[in-house]
Amino acid sequence: MTLREFLSDRLGRIALQLICIGLAALFLFVTGTQPGVLMLLLLVLLLIFATAQVADFLRQRACLREWEAIWDGLDRKYLFAECVPPPKALYERRLLDLTRRAGQAMTGAVSDAEASRREYREYVEQWVHEIKAPITAARLICRDLDGETRRKLAAELAQVEAHVERALFYARAESPEQDCLLRQVKLEKIAAQALENHRSLLIQSRVQVETAGLDCTVYTDEKWAVFILGQLLQNAARYRGEAPVITISAHPLGKQVRLAVSDNGIGIPAHELSRVFDRGFTGSNGRSRGGSTGMGLYLCRRLSGFLELGLEIASEEGKQTTVTLTFPAKENLTKL
Amino acid sequence: MPKIMIIEDDPAIREELALLLKNEGYTPLMVTEFTDVPGQTARERPDLILLDIGLPGKDGFSLCAALRKAVPVPVIFVTSRDAGVDEVRALSLGGDDYITKPYSVPVLLARIKAVLRRSLGEPEPSDILEAGGLCLSLTKGVVSAGGRSAELTRNELQILACLMTRAGQIVSRADLIDTLWDNQIYIDDNTLSVNMTRLRGRLAEIGRPDAIKTRRGMGYQL
Repeated sequence: MTLREFLSDRLGRIALQLICIGLAALFLFVTGTQPGVLMLLLLVLLLIFATAQVADFLRQRACLREWEAIWDGLDRKYLFAECVPPPKALYERRLLDLTRRAGQAMTGAVSDAEASRREYREYVEQWVHEIKAPITAARLICRDLDGETRRKLAAELAQVEAHVERALFYARAESPEQDCLLRQVKLEKIAAQALENHRSLLIQSRVQVETAGLDCTVYTDEKWAVFILGQLLQNAARYRGEAPVITISAHPLGKQVRLAVSDNGIGIPAHELSRVFDRGFTGSNGRSRGGSTGMGLYLCRRLSGFLELGLEIASEEGKQTTVTLTFPAKENLTKL
Repeated sequence: MPKIMIIEDDPAIREELALLLKNEGYTPLMVTEFTDVPGQTARERPDLILLDIGLPGKDGFSLCAALRKAVPVPVIFVTSRDAGVDEVRALSLGGDDYITKPYSVPVLLARIKAVLRRSLGEPEPSDILEAGGLCLSLTKGVVSAGGRSAELTRNELQILACLMTRAGQIVSRADLIDTLWDNQIYIDDNTLSVNMTRLRGRLAEIGRPDAIKTRRGMGYQL
C-alpha cells in the first residue's frame, strides 16, 4: 500500500476534517479571535490530525506487510484466514471472522474432494488389477485356438491391455510418489520388456526393431520407464510408413544417458509438434488413422517430469519422428 | 515329472494353467481350498509353487512366509499388482521369482523352467542340437554336416535352432518371428525372408542346400 493509495482511500474523511477546521477557523475569526492565536490553533489542530493519519497509515502498512509475509509462507493458501492474528478493531475482527468461516467451508469442500479423488484412484487401481485376471485367463484360453485366430485375438487382447495400462498409469500419475521406486536398471532390460509388452502390435505392424548401445545403466523406476517406452513404441507402430523400422539407441552424455526412439513413419506436422504432449491432443494423424486417445504422450510427459527425465520430440512430416529421453545422472536425482 | 502347485483363486485361470502345465509335461496340483494351504503343501510336496498374491481373505505375502516354514519349496509369485514395492517385498520374503499378470505364456514357462533348474539342480540345456543330419553348436554358432561346417550369424542361428528343435514339424513364418522375438531379435517378415535366404546359402556351403523345405502357404520344415 502506497501513501497515495492510502490518501485516496481516506479522501472523504480528510476532506471532512479540513472542512471542520475551516468552519471552526471562520467562526473564531468572525467572533474576533486574534489572528496570531487563530494561526497557532490551526497549526496545532492540523498537526494532531496529520499525525493521527500518518500513524494510521504506518499501522495499516505494517499489518498488511505482516499478512503478506504469512501468505507467502503458507503452503496451502486457503488456510490463510486461520493463520493471521485477529485484529483489535471490532469491524475488522468481524470481517476476518466471516472470512474464516468461508475458509472453513472451503477446507471442508477441499478435503471432501481430495478424499473422493483418492477413493477414485484406489478404485481404478483395484479395477485394473481385477481386469487383469480375465485377461490372463483369456490369454491362456487363446492357446487352444489355431494359429491365425489366436494371433488376431492375442493382438486384440494386447490392445485391451494397453488401454488398461494407460488407465493404471493415469491413476498413478495423480500421486506418483506412492509407486515410484528409483533403482539402477539396465536399459536393455527396459527395452526388452517394453518390446515384449507390445510385441503383437509390433509384429502385426510388420515393424523391424533395431537396437544400439543399450548396454547402459540408468537410475529410474523400471516399470514407469517401460511404460513410457511402450507408449513411444505404440505410436511408432501406429503411425508407421512403408517398410517400418524403429531404432532404439542410447548413448551417454556426460553422466546422463540419452535414449532415442526413432521411426521412419508418417511424422508430425511442424505446427502440431508443440502440442503433442497436451492432454487429449490427437492431431491430424490421430484423426486420420483413428484409435488415438491423446493420452499416451501426455502421460509420458507427466511421468517423465516425476522421474526427472528429459523428454523431447523432433519430427519431419512424411519422413521420421524421434523422441529422446534423457535419463538424469544419479547425483542429480532429488528423490533417490 | 516335476509337480507344480497352483495356488490361484480365479477358476478359469487355475484350470487353463493346469492344462497348460500338463501339456508341457508337468504334473499340476490345483488348490481349491484356501483354509490350510501350508498343510496341503506339506502333504503334496510339490517341486514348485505358483502363488497368487491376491487370494480371498488372505495376504499372499504372509502365506508365502508360512509356506516357506512348512516346506522348503521354490515359490513364484504371480500377481496382478505390479507396483515395484510389491516385487521387492515378494522377493525379500523368499519368493524365487515374480511375474505380473497378464503374463505371456512363453515367459511364464521360461521362468518356471529356470526356477526348477536352479532348485532341482538340473543340467543346463545341451549346447549341441542335432536334427535332420545337421549338427548345431549354439554357443559357437557353427552348423556342421558331413565333416563340413559353416559359421552363422545370430539371426541365422536362432532361425535354424527353432527349426531344429521342431524338426519334422511345419513351422509357420509367424511362429518363427515369435520365437525370434523371444530371443530379442526384433525382425519383420521381409527381414526373415532375407535371413532365410542367407541361411540356405550357408547350408548349401556345407552341402545341404535343401535341408529346409518351404511348405507353400504354411511355413518351413526341416
